[in-house]
This record gives sequence, structure tokens and C-alpha cells, in this order.
Amino acid sequence: MSEINLKFDHQLPTCKEVMSHICDNLGEELDSPKCIEIKNHLENCDNCKHYFNSVEKTIEFYKKYNVELPKDAHERLLDLLGLKE
Amino acid sequence: MEETKLIELAQNGDRKALTELVKLYEQTVFNFSYKICRNKDKAEHTMQETFLSMVKHLNQFSGQSKLSTWLYRVVSNHCLMLARSEKSNGFTSFEDDDAVIDEKEIADWKVSPDQITENNELKNILDEAIKKLPADYRIVFLLRDVEGLSTEETAKIVELSIPAVKSRLHRARAFLRNELNQIFSEGINP
Repeated sequence: MSEINLKFDHQLPTCKEVMSHICDNLGEELDSPKCIEIKNHLENCDNCKHYFNSVEKTIEFYKKYNVELPKDAHERLLDLLGLKE
Repeated sequence: MEETKLIELAQNGDRKALTELVKLYEQTVFNFSYKICRNKDKAEHTMQETFLSMVKHLNQFSGQSKLSTWLYRVVSNHCLMLARSEKSNGFTSFEDDDAVIDEKEIADWKVSPDQITENNELKNILDEAIKKLPADYRIVFLLRDVEGLSTEETAKIVELSIPAVKSRLHRARAFLRNELNQIFSEGINP
């Protein structure tokens, strides 16, 4: 159990704790009974919902930003490795 | 042909099998190198160094881990060396966890990740934001969140403990989100 979860045993999480939890787990453990307060908080707090969405979008942006290997770079690589046909 | 068979053949000097292995991974290696370096020339240089290492050390590859995991480690090490040699990281200190959670400026982002493919301005924004991250944080974020490796695999590649990986990931996510939020919440429509 993480430190942040321990805090929730006796008190409801603050927005800052929820945001910190989002950055730790990104929803991975939100089904865990220990994190039920997080889930409830997220359902009822627009700010934290926006925060959660923006962290998810941050990752999506970097996932979708890909570059293709240029053909000449491929040729130079095979040449360098002595594998050119 | 299966990868393990290709590796076995390449280890026994089969050039065709070696070429196949290079072709199998060159796109992944180049793309991952670019994501760390954010520069095409540096990404090509790192890709070349990575495959030179692969050719040189292929006989030592036991097959106990995946070849892709091994290549990610080599790329990461080359990129870290490059970043250290440049010594130009003007990044923020991440010693204090509280410094990276910004609870004051929460706005709903209207911009969609689907816009990235055609939008160079958006690409520049993403490049500039991630370049501010220290290279070791950048690599953890990219391996875990972008390439989709597990925390355990990421820890092995960067030779850090699992708590250290989680800590870097937490800070990297919060930092990047804050950097992008400054732009995306100001009404700029990339």
C-alpha cells in the first residue's frame, strides 16, 4: 500500500492528493477497494476530472507523435553495417 | 521466420538473417531515439551506434530477455551519454514532489492528440516541453507510458529500482502535463 493510500484510511483525499495519485497510477488501480475515495472524488470533482484527462492526453500526444525512418537513413545504416545488397 | 531463429542464424554469421533483424527493428529504434533526442540527426546517429553495438555483441545475447528490450537499453544508454556530453539541460529540480503538482490551473483541454500528425506547431510544443525534462526522466516516461513497457521492464532497462522508476514517472507526467497546460489552457489552438 502506498503512502498516499494510507492517508485515505482515515480521511477523504484532497484534490492535491487525488492529482498526485493520478500521476502515480493513472487509473491503473482505481478498481482497488483502497482507492474507492479517489474514484468517488473524481466522479464529483470537475477540476480533478480535468486534471486526469489532461495527464492522459499528455501521454496520448507523445504516443501519437511518431517519426518515420527516412529511406536514405535506412540505406546509410545498411551501408555502415556492411549489409548493403 | 521467428525472431529466435533469426538471432541464432545471425550469431552463426548469416548476413541475410542479420539484415532481417536490422530491418525488423530499425524503425522502432529510430523512432525511440528521436523521441528521446528530439532531433533527426542525433536520432540517426544513435540508431547507427545501437546497431553497431548489436552486431558487435550479438554473440553475447543469450535470448533470456527480448531483443527489443536489449535494444531499448542500448538506445537509452547512448542517448544518456549524448545528453551528458552536451550538458545543456536547463531543467527544473525535481527534488520536491509538491513542486510538480499544480492544482491552481486546471482547465479542460480542447486540443486533441489526433491533431498531432498534421500539425508542426503542436510538434514543436511537445518537443520543447519534453526537452526540459532531464534525460533519465524522459527515458522512463517514454519507455513506460509511450512504448508501453511494464514498470519492471523499464526498471531493468534503466537499471533503477521499481520505486525510483515510479517516482521519475510520477514527476515526468506531472511536469509534462504542467508544461502543456500552460499553452493549452491559454486558448492557443494548435
